[in-house]
Amino acid sequence: MFPDWMNDAPNPYSSVLVANRGEIAVRILQSARELGIKGISIYSDSDANSLHVELSEEAIHLPGKLLSETYLNIDAIIEAAKISGAEAIHPGYGFLSERPDFAKAVVDSNLVWIGPSPKSIEIMGDKISARNKMLDSGVPIIPGEEIFIEQDEDYIGPLAAAAARVGYPLLLKASAGGGGKGMRAVYEPKNLKSQYEAASREASTAFGDGTVYVERLLTKARHVEIQILCDQKGNSVHLNERDCSLQRRHQKVIEEAPCLALSEQIRRLMGESAIKAANSVNYVGAGTVEFLLSSKGQFFFLEMNTRLQVEHPITELTTGIDIVQKQFEIAAGFDLNLNQADIRINGHSIEARIYAENPSKGFLPATGTLSKWRFPSGPGIRLDSGFREGDEVTIDFDPMLAKLIVHAPNRKLALRKLDTALSDFIILGVTTNLGFLRDIIKQEKFYTGKITTDYLDNVSESIFIPPEVDPSHIIAIASAAERLGVDRQLLGQFSGEMVDDYSGHIGDPFRTLSKKLP
Amino acid sequence: MEWSIGEDNIRYTAELADNEGKLTLTSIKKEGEEIIISDVSISHDLNFNRLMVDIDGIVRLVHIAKVKDSYWIHLDGRIHVINSHEIGYSNQKQNEGSLIAPMPGIIIDILVKEGQRVRKGQNLMIMEAMKMEHKIQSPKDGEVISISNEIGQKVDMGVILVEIAD
Repeated sequence: MFPDWMNDAPNPYSSVLVANRGEIAVRILQSARELGIKGISIYSDSDANSLHVELSEEAIHLPGKLLSETYLNIDAIIEAAKISGAEAIHPGYGFLSERPDFAKAVVDSNLVWIGPSPKSIEIMGDKISARNKMLDSGVPIIPGEEIFIEQDEDYIGPLAAAAARVGYPLLLKASAGGGGKGMRAVYEPKNLKSQYEAASREASTAFGDGTVYVERLLTKARHVEIQILCDQKGNSVHLNERDCSLQRRHQKVIEEAPCLALSEQIRRLMGESAIKAANSVNYVGAGTVEFLLSSKGQFFFLEMNTRLQVEHPITELTTGIDIVQKQFEIAAGFDLNLNQADIRINGHSIEARIYAENPSKGFLPATGTLSKWRFPSGPGIRLDSGFREGDEVTIDFDPMLAKLIVHAPNRKLALRKLDTALSDFIILGVTTNLGFLRDIIKQEKFYTGKITTDYLDNVSESIFIPPEVDPSHIIAIASAAERLGVDRQLLGQFSGEMVDDYSGHIGDPFRTLSKKLP
Repeated sequence: MEWSIGEDNIRYTAELADNEGKLTLTSIKKEGEEIIISDVSISHDLNFNRLMVDIDGIVRLVHIAKVKDSYWIHLDGRIHVINSHEIGYSNQKQNEGSLIAPMPGIIIDILVKEGQRVRKGQNLMIMEAMKMEHKIQSPKDGEVISISNEIGQKVDMGVILVEIAD
């Protein structure tokens, strides 16, 4: 049974398999439920009890310990779609979302693919072909070249020659990389070899391809990206920009929309370039064209992400357009039904990525059990997460625990809302960057909107020392918790009639004393 | 019971007076020395399993979780980890020259050999966890006396990776 709205669709479908996990699978399954589409999930052994499985109407187990056996296993996922009778596949981000062979396998199996054509993914996924397309379409690009290095080949000569042609400082990128993996900055020739080895090693573990791209590193630049939507009839709009300049080792930490540094004129030019980029590959669906914006206001094409982006919520909140819903509509063959003139920017939105990591120990990933997990809520606060209280955080997957997104009439109010929401977010049992995020947004450079992509990597960590706390307060609290037996309550012994070991009271002492909270 | 804060080694003890389930702080000793304390009284909000903490007349609702021997405390928008220790049980002082794995992961490269002289901050090993690489750096100048692992090996958090002698 198709949902009502699908009745006139050129390619209707009634169910979707989400080939992903974590917060993005949750996000997509939620939209599917709202749209009356049956949501089907896949899961590996360690995800058997995960939230995304709970939110789907049907879940298919993919056995195996390795990602190549589960979330990166094209054959098993296509098979899961057949077993469950799924009529469409949504890839989310990461994993197989930008693999043209996956898109092709989906299409060849007569399933609706919620994304651009395999050809579009292939052209944009290859840095050389993407650059050439941009050159042909008049979209500005950064100087750079790709090096093909056979395994065990003596690579130093060709690599050094390419690096010299491109010029230092430069960026080494694994051609098939993304999300900060397999990317290294090289400021001096003497570090070229060690950084190359690190980049190719990371790329081959994460993506199975060791090819490296050498590109001029633009310093003091901002990372500004344009969200685009294109339907199957060739209509396209852009949903304005996101500023993702606050990064640590090329991993985005805080994103916001709109970008303070963008004049109305540059916004228009960048938007037009993004649409040119998309049209050059006959793009269909939601995509993101990333640019570097120099301090002088010039912008250069970085890459196009041919999928949904982690930070898509800030665009949803400022434009009022549900991007995942649009993806579903476009895949069903509906017209975009949006005019560029109708796309407005309403207020300001900021997303902070909550990572399981220890900022005071060089941002090492943290693991553990989420013993307490109470997230903030209220007007203008959105939380996208695949975790619940009691869930385990392991090293098996990405350390992102949640995305905390706020929306307010202006940036100043959005920052206040974000700070309050971060301080209300209670995550106990796993070390996170919550405090670090609060420290960042109070830095003058951030507060005044002057962040460039090199900021976090160059700033001294000592400026992020959290405010001092009186040790007597927290020692007293720990000591009291021990005496009052707070942990015993967590073990499920809580009962209204329980006698407290220390006080001898029955039940809640405040009920008997008829005290109320202030 | 003795307490320490986060990674810090300083030991504290606390004394609380019990008044019908409401605990009032009477003394805190830092390494055996009495320190100045605020007016703190604490009671248990059983319905929500949190503490009501009155500091100098202002009540805060404090969420708390016990994980192994540590209490995780959310106070005034910040999270603190307080570790408990049996009294008199001194910290097994870690040999300052031994480097332990800061996280569970896989050793993907070893950059030094046994017997090699290394400088403080020099990269000794590269570990991978959560698909990212992390450099293990020497805490001091010295000589590598032992390397306990091989490339490709999976290690748990806290395992000794390298030992460095002066």
